[in-house]
Amino acid sequence: MVSLSQSDLRARYGRGPWQLVKWLLDPFALVGVYLILVTAVLERPGEAPGLALTCAVVPFQILTLTTTSSMTAVTLRRGIIANMSFPRAFLPLGTTMTETLAFAASFLLVVMMMAIYSVAPTTALLALPLILFVNLVLAVSFAYAATLFGVWLPDLRPFALSFVRALFFLAPGLIALDQIEGAANTWVRVNPFSGLFEGYRAIFLRGEVPDLWMILIPLGWACLIMAVFLPIYLREQGHFAKVAE
Amino acid sequence: MTASIRARGAGVRFVFDRQRRPVTPAMGRLRRHCETNWGLRGVDVEVGPGESVALLGGNGAGKTTLLKVMAGVYTLDEGAVAVEGRVGSLLSINGGLMPELTGRENAVLLGVLAGLSRPQAFASLESVLQSSRLGNAFERPVSSYSQGMRARLGFATILESRPQVLLLDEVHEALDDDFRVDFERISEEIRSAGGIVVVAGHDHQLLSRMTSRALHLKDASLIDDGPFDTVLGGYLARDRGEAASR
Repeated sequence: MVSLSQSDLRARYGRGPWQLVKWLLDPFALVGVYLILVTAVLERPGEAPGLALTCAVVPFQILTLTTTSSMTAVTLRRGIIANMSFPRAFLPLGTTMTETLAFAASFLLVVMMMAIYSVAPTTALLALPLILFVNLVLAVSFAYAATLFGVWLPDLRPFALSFVRALFFLAPGLIALDQIEGAANTWVRVNPFSGLFEGYRAIFLRGEVPDLWMILIPLGWACLIMAVFLPIYLREQGHFAKVAE
Repeated sequence: MTASIRARGAGVRFVFDRQRRPVTPAMGRLRRHCETNWGLRGVDVEVGPGESVALLGGNGAGKTTLLKVMAGVYTLDEGAVAVEGRVGSLLSINGGLMPELTGRENAVLLGVLAGLSRPQAFASLESVLQSSRLGNAFERPVSSYSQGMRARLGFATILESRPQVLLLDEVHEALDDDFRVDFERISEEIRSAGGIVVVAGHDHQLLSRMTSRALHLKDASLIDDGPFDTVLGGYLARDRGEAASR
């Protein structure tokens, strides 16, 4: 898994000193411009809107990049899948690791936003590994489902990506949860992304430990997705070589 | 561990959708219009320790499919296969190589995928460099390699996992004469140590030097199994007969 991720990252960012520069700039190129636009140009309500948005965009990007890469994982790795016997169950894990490492530099965006809004870090940062863990577990579950989807219905990959994007807009991504009123405030929490976004906001924006629902709902979704797709994945992986060629 | 290969009624089925794209069997069951094609069917074969076997047959006969079954790349759709011993396979010249990575980086990746630990894969790099004879090219991206250089890198890398069962699909035919000598010597070493070498190809002279037994595949079935010269004679006669009747 480590070797697969390392190879992917090397193929993506190259070698030498520019490797680090490319890695650091990649997240800025992907979402940084959008965040700066929201923060500096557009007038948005709420507390530190740029930071609130960053707390949603960073975990979302890890999920969406993992989903995108997973859907093409078998095609991209057809060289090894069609020629070597190795545990294919590692493929989604490797993809998640690659995308997480690739996007790890995006946490600099959070730091930058905290500096812009003069939000000081608190001891709530100790809860960061927990919310990161939930983020990764959800990404892994998406990766297994997305890998299968990419193999089964390659023509519908853009629709699957649109579905993941729709989940972002149906979660408190652009607008924080405390600005959503009425029954929608309760219902929107069922979305697997809501707990994650609010968990990051609790830690970085409000300096609080995430509420239990922010951990349990995304974890519950991850377990459900894994319970459905992992057994199917394990059954189907033996036939990936036939499809990859 | 003693090397052995045992296949009973081995069958591999390919399922294609309406656009003739391969799909998994599960997806094939869900779709209304699918076509199936057996890549291998009803193959019974047993290879014991110390044997070297050639796979003969025309294009699409099932040689590569059988090798992929032995290598654990394909899952059987019917029958059973049991392979004892560490398997090293080189089933295509570009097999597993990532063109953006250098020879050194590919050697680590392939070494790990072939069963080495990461420290073992790193420790084997000098040996891979020596045996592949790539020189400075070892530090260059594989995209700049010729077919022969890729075959040498792949071959040198899989040998580091000390395979007891060596499976090769025409890759040796891309090697230059010097490297072919090494290749024949190494194959002989594996065989005399109780291992197994299974080779598919069309270079009959090379195959006759390397193997004593041959399997003749045709239309996904095994139609002949015996001493190399006898099976080759039957294969060529049948081939010529068919060509004449056309």
